[in-house]
Amino acid sequence: MRSRILTAGAIAIASAAVLVAQPPAKTVNGLQISVKSVARAERTPLRDCPPGTNSVNAVQRPGDELAVVTVDFKVMPDFKPVTMKRATATAADDKVYNTSIQFVDVGSVPEYSCQFVYRVPQGTKLKTLQIEGASFDISGLESK
Amino acid sequence: MEIDRRAFIASLGGAAAVASMSDEAKADALEHYMEDQLDAGVEAQRGQTAPGQPETFPTVADIEAQIETRPFRRGTGSVFTGQRGENVKKITPMPDKPTLQDFFRLRFAPANHVLQSATRAMKTGMSEEIILACLLHDCVLSLIKPDHGWWGAQLFEPYIPEKSAFAIRYHQTLRFFPDEEAGYEYPDQYYRIFGKDYTPPQYIQDTYKWLKNHKWYMEPRLVTVNDLYAFDPNAKVSIEPFEDIIGRHFKQPKEGLGFDNSPSAHMWRTLARPDSPL
Repeated sequence: MRSRILTAGAIAIASAAVLVAQPPAKTVNGLQISVKSVARAERTPLRDCPPGTNSVNAVQRPGDELAVVTVDFKVMPDFKPVTMKRATATAADDKVYNTSIQFVDVGSVPEYSCQFVYRVPQGTKLKTLQIEGASFDISGLESK
Repeated sequence: MEIDRRAFIASLGGAAAVASMSDEAKADALEHYMEDQLDAGVEAQRGQTAPGQPETFPTVADIEAQIETRPFRRGTGSVFTGQRGENVKKITPMPDKPTLQDFFRLRFAPANHVLQSATRAMKTGMSEEIILACLLHDCVLSLIKPDHGWWGAQLFEPYIPEKSAFAIRYHQTLRFFPDEEAGYEYPDQYYRIFGKDYTPPQYIQDTYKWLKNHKWYMEPRLVTVNDLYAFDPNAKVSIEPFEDIIGRHFKQPKEGLGFDNSPSAHMWRTLARPDSPL
């Protein structure tokens, strides 16, 4: 019984930590944007946003790693078609990284999730993600 | 044998390409695909690729070792080869005064890759010169594959804006050099087709050095950026959205492509008559 309580408590604390870590959703150009996670990958698909089924991947090179930022999008009623610039990420040392993932037809699907890929030097921690005018603090999503 | 429907359609050039195939061609393609899958299974049993494991890329030596396993050379244009070295089929004759659209329909088809590339360039607000370059950048692969940037530019140069021809010529070089700032990653498919330890030849490296400081560097770079994304098997594309851009920027000769005495007329004639013995 005691161990169950402890487990439940641990889950609650972990869930709260995730909630705290996730930056609040923001609405940009009629799109509600929520940053979900930051992960590292050796190989990852390069798909536009919203994603198609493009089969080309990026592959990690020696000294680099691929930071993958997952972002959810929801098209709001006031959305108007717009061309959006690529999302950028800023690292803890204030260096800005570009992604090859481009926004294409952002209003074509009501809800979708995109993975923005950043090639960064190994060990780099990302601090913020910028989409158009909005900045999201993603430092809490980085693994320690 | 289980068939991955999506992978099968992708191997044929996408849903649009499949839609344009006869039932007989589809059956042939499915048979070939299953044979390929079977071959892959045999390779896996040999321990060259373990199923379910991350893909291991071939080396340059592995790729070179494949040369004598084929009845044709890899650089041969697609109008000259049958599928998997089988007998070729009779080809539909071109009209007397062929247009660019006729070549798209009868010689470059399915052209799914270039149509996707141009569609994306259009959707992301590229200039008309770049959209046209994306539309034409790999068409010459029907004729010849090595140095396709140079051959492609030469084929189209008499008819298109100088910037578009520049973009077609040098996209080949820039494909080997990533530019994260511009949004271009080195694609994993190049590890597959050139080998994981491949180094571009010296003339490509010299061309890259020269291009880096050229005022038109971004023209071919933008073709590579859109090239990267043009492998979506489910994208629905057609040449219709580009009719206006072709009308504005492609100088269609009244005699028809191949018969206007331009410096590349002979290349169009070769594409038109690939069965000609001389």
